[in-house]
Amino acid sequence: MNVVVCVKQVPDTSDPDVEVHIDSSGKGVDESKFSFVINDADNYAVEEAIPLKEKHEGEVTVVNIGPEAANQVVRMALAKGGDQAIRLDDERFAFSDITATARLLASAIGDLEFDIVMTGCIASDDGYSAVGVTLAQMLDLPHAAMVKSVEVIGDNKLKVGRELEGGLLEMLEIETPCVLTIQTGINEPRYASFKGIRAASKKEIKVMDLEATGLSEDQVGEAGSTAVMVEYSVPVVGELAEILEGDAAETSVKLSGILKEKGLV
Amino acid sequence: MHDIFVLAEHREGELREVTLEILTLAGQLAEQSGGKVTAVLLGSGIDEYAGKCASFADRVLVVDDPMYKDYNSAAYQQALVELIKAEKPHLVLIGNTGQGVDLAPSLAVELDVPYTSDVVSVTLEGDKPVATRQYYGGKIDGRIEFKDADVYVLAIREASTPAGEGGKSGEIQKIDNPVTTEVTVRKFLEYVEAAIGEVDITQSTMLVSVGRGIRDEKNMPIMEELAEAMGADLSASRAVVDAGWLPTDRQVGISGKTVSPKLYLAVGISGAFQHVTGIKGADVVVAINKDPDAPIFQYADYGIVDDLLKVVPALTEKIKEMKG
Amino acid sequence: MNIEHGTFVEKYDLLGCIQCGRCTGGCPVTVRTDLNVRLFVYETVDDDRLEALSEKHEIWDCTTCNNCALRCPKGLDPFEVLLGLRSMQVEEGNIEPTAISALESVFNNGNPWGKPRALRCNWMEDIEGVEKVRILEKGEKADVLIHTCCTACYDPRIIPLARNLVRVMEKAGVDYGFIGEEETDCGSEVRRLGEEGLFEMLDEDNTELFDAYDSGRIVCLSPHCYNTFKNECENIKTPVLHYTELVAEIIREGKLELTGEIDSKVVYHDPCYLGKKNKVFDEPRYILGRIPGIELMEFNQSREISLCCEGGGGKMWVESESKEQRLSETRILDAKEMGADIVAVACPFCLLTLEDALKAKGFDEEMRVADILELLGESI
Repeated sequence: MNVVVCVKQVPDTSDPDVEVHIDSSGKGVDESKFSFVINDADNYAVEEAIPLKEKHEGEVTVVNIGPEAANQVVRMALAKGGDQAIRLDDERFAFSDITATARLLASAIGDLEFDIVMTGCIASDDGYSAVGVTLAQMLDLPHAAMVKSVEVIGDNKLKVGRELEGGLLEMLEIETPCVLTIQTGINEPRYASFKGIRAASKKEIKVMDLEATGLSEDQVGEAGSTAVMVEYSVPVVGELAEILEGDAAETSVKLSGILKEKGLV
Repeated sequence: MHDIFVLAEHREGELREVTLEILTLAGQLAEQSGGKVTAVLLGSGIDEYAGKCASFADRVLVVDDPMYKDYNSAAYQQALVELIKAEKPHLVLIGNTGQGVDLAPSLAVELDVPYTSDVVSVTLEGDKPVATRQYYGGKIDGRIEFKDADVYVLAIREASTPAGEGGKSGEIQKIDNPVTTEVTVRKFLEYVEAAIGEVDITQSTMLVSVGRGIRDEKNMPIMEELAEAMGADLSASRAVVDAGWLPTDRQVGISGKTVSPKLYLAVGISGAFQHVTGIKGADVVVAINKDPDAPIFQYADYGIVDDLLKVVPALTEKIKEMKG
Repeated sequence: MNIEHGTFVEKYDLLGCIQCGRCTGGCPVTVRTDLNVRLFVYETVDDDRLEALSEKHEIWDCTTCNNCALRCPKGLDPFEVLLGLRSMQVEEGNIEPTAISALESVFNNGNPWGKPRALRCNWMEDIEGVEKVRILEKGEKADVLIHTCCTACYDPRIIPLARNLVRVMEKAGVDYGFIGEEETDCGSEVRRLGEEGLFEMLDEDNTELFDAYDSGRIVCLSPHCYNTFKNECENIKTPVLHYTELVAEIIREGKLELTGEIDSKVVYHDPCYLGKKNKVFDEPRYILGRIPGIELMEFNQSREISLCCEGGGGKMWVESESKEQRLSETRILDAKEMGADIVAVACPFCLLTLEDALKAKGFDEEMRVADILELLGESI
């Protein structure tokens, strides 16, 4: 079973103390203080792909769109069991939206032989939850998003569980080749040791620029995008906890009202 | 003509609230543009939903066919493509939900139209939509502008617009299934509920978390009642787990689990660093603690400084009242 | 897994073991887990068994307190065998998610707490009586270069220790300085968790970093950092001290006046990495003895036989499966029985684990746990 896994390198902004500052262009952020990591959901996708190729004989190809620094996440995926990698790197790819990003991935993946393409179901920086499904349609393949379980049930068939609200699972059958976007919590990602990552640098990372993809300049980057993020802004938000005043009867009313407003109750 | 399509979302005998939220949003946009709001309802045996949608829309297009009995994005997409090609709405709004993210992006590609997702607010500038989304976990907002197109597809975040009161009387139009060929590449099997008794708090969407402040095991029942009233799972700080009042798999923190619920209600938890690092994925944090200097208030969005033994039962009662 | 023949035998000198059992006999965690270090030393001689042995959960119960190494009549370090087995699991990628988070965070952020490097020096703001904490330029000369410790930079409970250390330095007029944002994890717990490769990288980085400054001594707030820089980083040439050694020195030299009274019965808990491992027993006691009002008491198990609090050896991140009473709780019960008002420590991990135990037992209204730095802060 051959699996292609798309991995993204993102800034680690999960900690509440990490500040995100918009840069002077308004379309980017100051990355100087960020540490960069593999996108969480992609990490789970890698961990879902490796056992499949181990159990059913095959190869895992790691695909990434990013500059040389993104080799950090590519090598981590290779260290965990990936066999080879493709990194799409070109300045003209910058500011690609969902569509342009998926188009880039399709150009690298379209010619490969695979049974499944896996992506993480969501990226922690832009939160689109869309590239994988967009990619599927571009490759004219069936897909399933928010996947929480994968089982091989036949030569060209998978039984897949999709996670819905409230933890409900939608179980379905899907034909391969297909695209699955993987939800966090589907497995327990292994650790890639320092020595292991160093050893993985012997595996091939093929770098593709715009010419290598066969796409034209107006198909990538902002030119190739149809929904463009034109400007960041700072949301109006409070800092410390808003303390609700009053006795228990009063504060419980206030709190339950807030919870209802937020759709949490 | 700037009509807006809203795909109704239903599951296991219920029309999901997000449908009414997005219909309300569509109504607000339609007022601006002078267009009509059409709820699109695909399913089997769905008359009861049509009536509900009709009070929020100018028209309800119903395709009632066994092909759509259970959600299958491939089948739904086929139908929507036909309907959209025929009716040519200006905006197509779908919930950014478990169903929506599985359908909207590929729909947009098949129609070859602009798409963006997880939109928290939409406005019309001229006749083009402009969307606002959140980036970096909500730390900053971004403005999305679209290239010119005849149709735009947007996936709207749940609870970003409150559902209004309705009050419209939309015309319900039952139409024939525009699709004749069954989808074979993907087949719905069944829904599976999360197993009872096996709680993986890392997957919980709502957590009520118990800390040392509860003082005694005999006070645990009030926490259990609150969690049940809220439809939440119980989690705990290490002190409570060490005391044996909750099992180790409920422990949140650096040597326990990292959780990312929509709501984390920390009760009697001081907010020690080793604990709060486990809740950095939480969307909304509420803290109840009788110590006004407890560090948890630095991490919480809302706080109540009071004795939990007083607040928790009062809160449970209010929530039960609200749920009716 | 590819194990070279005889790796463990050679690396840990296993054939020197006479199976006397003094190691297990002194191992504090045997009261609550299945860990039998003597048996591991015996069985790891057989290469074919290594993989299976590395999968046993009890190898993670070891706190690396050093009792076994101290008691071994053949001068072996039995606990190192357990670290070797942990390394095997690390290379397989098969370790607890909590350990994975900590290690990945060290690699990405230079600290195991998942906190951004950019905020490493935030603790330095607004310290009472201190205009600005001195951060050294590369090449700048200072008598004392302080290594803060990641936990003291980020954990709100431990930050006061760092802040009080600065106040003490200022009061005593010590020529001190900090590295600043570039300061990074010492690698002690990284090595205890079995990540040899990452530890080697940190060793190199820290050695290079310290080399860039012209300092007389490196002083560490945590006994773990102290032990690693002093004994495990072979190329650090500058002498390394624990803060208690420096503070004892400046008190003796009359540079620090301790005037504030702390009228309390204080029992000092010897941190394993300060006491057992590095024989620093007297300096902390000397300091406590100089604070007016303190009545200093001793645990039965003190100094070389101090009861480990179970904070070290990676245990801040990997829980034991045992349901038996924690050693830290035993320690707190001992202190309560003695009538102590304060349990004094000189290590961030001891402070956190003993305080947790204090709360779990419900004694937090009658007793407190405090680092010597906090008591100094109350007295200067």
